[in-house]
Amino acid sequence: MTTTQIEAPRAAPPESPRRRTRTRRSPYLTSARYVVLFALACFFLMPVYALVVTALKDPSQVDVVKMWQLPDGLSFETFSIVWPKLKNGFVNSLILTIPASLISSMLGAMNGFVLSKWRFPGADIVFPVILFGMFIPYQAIIIPMTQTMSKLGLAGGLDGLILVHIIYGIPITTLIFRSYFAGISDELIEASKVDGAGMLRTFFFVALPIAPPAFAVSMIWQFTSAWNDFLFGLVLTRTEYWPVTIALNNVAGAQTVPFNQAMAAALLASIPTLLVYILLGRFFMRGLMAGALKG
Amino acid sequence: MQVSEQRVEPSPRPQAVGIRLDRVSKRYRGGVMAVQDVEMDVKPGEFMVLVGPSGCGKSTLLRMIAGLEEVTTGRVFIGDKDVTDDLPQQRDVAMVFQSYALYPRMTVRKNMAFGLRMRGTERVERERRVDGVADILGLRPLLERRPGALSGGQRQRVAMGRAIVREPQAFLMDEPLSNLDAKLRVSMRAQLTLLHQRLGTTTVYVTHDQIEAMTLGQRVAVLRDGILQQCDTPQILFREPVNLFVAAFIGSPSMNFVHATVERGIVRFAGLEFPLARSVPDGRVVLGIRPTAFAPTARDGWPTLSIVPDVVEDLGDERYVIFEVEAARVDTDAVRAAMDAQTPDEVTLLADERARFTARLPADAPAAVGEPLEVAVDPSRLYFFDRDSGAKI
Amino acid sequence: MSRRIRTWGPGLLLVSPSLALLLVFVYGFIGWNGLVSFTQWKGLNPTYVVEGFDNYTYLFRDETFRNDVRNLVVFTVVFMVGSLVLGFFMALLLDKGVRGETFLRSIYLFPMAISFIATGIVWRWLLNSDRDVGTTGINKLFELVGLGFLHSDWHKTPSALAIAAIALPAGWALSGYVMSLFLAGLRGIPEELREAARVDGANERRVYWYVVRPLLLPVLMSAVVILAHISLKTFDLIYAIAPLDPRTETPALYMWLTSFRGGFFARGAAIATMLFFAIALVIVPYIWYTVRAERRK
Repeated sequence: MTTTQIEAPRAAPPESPRRRTRTRRSPYLTSARYVVLFALACFFLMPVYALVVTALKDPSQVDVVKMWQLPDGLSFETFSIVWPKLKNGFVNSLILTIPASLISSMLGAMNGFVLSKWRFPGADIVFPVILFGMFIPYQAIIIPMTQTMSKLGLAGGLDGLILVHIIYGIPITTLIFRSYFAGISDELIEASKVDGAGMLRTFFFVALPIAPPAFAVSMIWQFTSAWNDFLFGLVLTRTEYWPVTIALNNVAGAQTVPFNQAMAAALLASIPTLLVYILLGRFFMRGLMAGALKG
Repeated sequence: MQVSEQRVEPSPRPQAVGIRLDRVSKRYRGGVMAVQDVEMDVKPGEFMVLVGPSGCGKSTLLRMIAGLEEVTTGRVFIGDKDVTDDLPQQRDVAMVFQSYALYPRMTVRKNMAFGLRMRGTERVERERRVDGVADILGLRPLLERRPGALSGGQRQRVAMGRAIVREPQAFLMDEPLSNLDAKLRVSMRAQLTLLHQRLGTTTVYVTHDQIEAMTLGQRVAVLRDGILQQCDTPQILFREPVNLFVAAFIGSPSMNFVHATVERGIVRFAGLEFPLARSVPDGRVVLGIRPTAFAPTARDGWPTLSIVPDVVEDLGDERYVIFEVEAARVDTDAVRAAMDAQTPDEVTLLADERARFTARLPADAPAAVGEPLEVAVDPSRLYFFDRDSGAKI
Repeated sequence: MSRRIRTWGPGLLLVSPSLALLLVFVYGFIGWNGLVSFTQWKGLNPTYVVEGFDNYTYLFRDETFRNDVRNLVVFTVVFMVGSLVLGFFMALLLDKGVRGETFLRSIYLFPMAISFIATGIVWRWLLNSDRDVGTTGINKLFELVGLGFLHSDWHKTPSALAIAAIALPAGWALSGYVMSLFLAGLRGIPEELREAARVDGANERRVYWYVVRPLLLPVLMSAVVILAHISLKTFDLIYAIAPLDPRTETPALYMWLTSFRGGFFARGAAIATMLFFAIALVIVPYIWYTVRAERRK
């Protein structure tokens, strides 16, 4: 699932301000606040709890009615049942997400650089034109896409899916890089010009070396987005090339599937993006957040 | 302010080239004229300073020479070559930016070598030149560091080094000392002069600080609102300003001004009368007297003024004596612009309509606040300006 | 003249591959899809004979489609209001700074990292109200804490509100994001403004009402636009929870069913085109307004 705003991701999300004026507040109100925040955290974590607890139960103990009970002993048997069904999808997703992230990030870097630092007449129109691609419903292009894929001989395989994710990732990566490069001083580019570098050399020698933070944001965002996609995978791939989301739905989608398997499968399929989120959450949030709000 | 009389005139390098601006103008969309019909001829090997209040167009002019701004009308020549349509990459100039603009991910060495690399210089030659310049500027120990690990002063030197290494036809400097603290700025000024004597490269230097302009420039171009006011050596600018603006802008403390009338060889203001040393047409004028034109004791042929000091600033070897004159403060656009102020309220802290003069006297002058004093005025150093146009009479 | 081209030519060239790709795969395809919506394409082989508005008129009279649109409206309203309220509330709680804020925020935001499919699968079980198996999921949770009377049939309720139950997982996933938006907005308000109001005598509630609230309008607008367009696009979530249930079907789902299950591509294209225009209605002004505001800066 991909959502984002138009204004660019900032250098860092606004941190809790250190010198906030503290109005005198009753301790009751403060503790009430913490209680509510804790309750909210429970609300958000509740499905995770159910998920983990169920996946770790011994299959014989699994009973839907006892969803909230802790397992008697830890058992990984459910995982071993479910993993073989997901493994292929996992590999496919990896093959899909990594090149797609890399290439769309590269394209985004090129676009972002030009649109912010090496502008041309009409750049102000090109940017919204590119940006709009981020918001369109994929339903509106999926039929032409299936036709095109089969005409190009890419139907059913991963290559087509990679191409699709590259193309539809361009708007957001462009946004990320454009705002990032907008933040570097114009004088740096001017110095490069006076030193004798043209656009390409300025891009490679001056802009790219300082772009790694933006690359991190872009790659992580694209990785998550491509990994979590469903519709394209559903329509454009054959069984052996299913990404993990489709495999997941197949394993866990039917009502007749034992529900511990469904939970375990959902957990396994989500681990990569969760790991990225936990370890590199900073970058994830920058991709997520809007930049300067008007006003 | 003492304007240095001695200056070692460097011989221009044999290959030094001049820069000529032929009636260049720059108009922005919306009609704003940043630069209007500027004609300038920088001689080969000359150190030319562009100075003026903010918004006067000096940076724009510099950038037009660099190729970073497009020229609306007029031509730019570097040497004999018409470079008006050339991109910055194609011109052989090096620029030092106010913010230094060092490439953050490159070492000092790579920063300095970048321009040479872009122009295809061989590696061996690059290293040789970088090492040579690093020696001159004392950057040897810093060569492998990144800009982030340098102090402001070190970064400034690297920015200079990057320009020097290229051995360009001209240096263009955009307020390179502005970000340094005061002491460093003063020492760097001297370094710049020495550097110029040694290298002899044609240099165009932009600053808003008239002291910097006067100390560094072989010639100084004063700009106001995009129009070149006067382009001369510092001495001539100081002694023979061509209009009110230049007179008010150059010199610290500024020239004193007062409205006056001239009638048959006598100038009258504030109830005082001076006989004139030279003939000035009758009429209403603005009279200008430099703080250095006063003397604490009477002199032959010098008219005297009875004053009561309001403020005495003791600077050790001299004193600034500030006193009121019974006349309205001169508040024309030219004077205000020279003070870099936009509204009348900004010039004085206290709302006061009276003119205040500053006299620069030796430290032993008997000046005390509130005690009447006689000062003499050098009649040969009076300046007269047309009340409306500001031009010198 | 040639100098100008030399200045910006290379830039244009560098952007052109992306631009070309997007012009084809976004704008071209949308047009193509629109074209298809005017044909009578059924089955495997596409036909491009333009027949007119038949598909649209069919859909306007189609009870399934009308039901779906009704569902979509209900879903959108419940989802948006719920997420906005919860997200804003959470932002208010965090605004003044709490210990462990970073930790809490990462908990509230983690659903954004998970696919809607996985979310849907988990919540399908949480919202399970199947009487044969016994009480489970959220209903069970209610029972356990003594709130058994809150037991609901969720998305199996035989009413028009069944789809509102799906707004629950959707809100669960998106509230953290809304919270981040509002938090950024709140923190973007200079503290001096609030302090001035306090010195002028306003209590905290009034500070929020008179100073903070007006400045949050742009954020609210952004949040509304983002949520609306997500809501219209939602497919994965519903597919995972209740794929073939008319009580929870929306146009997005219907489009897929009708095209890729039923083979009625022309009709599906018509639905997709309508979806596109609905979204464009919201997004285009938003983009235009944002780009213009940026240019003014």
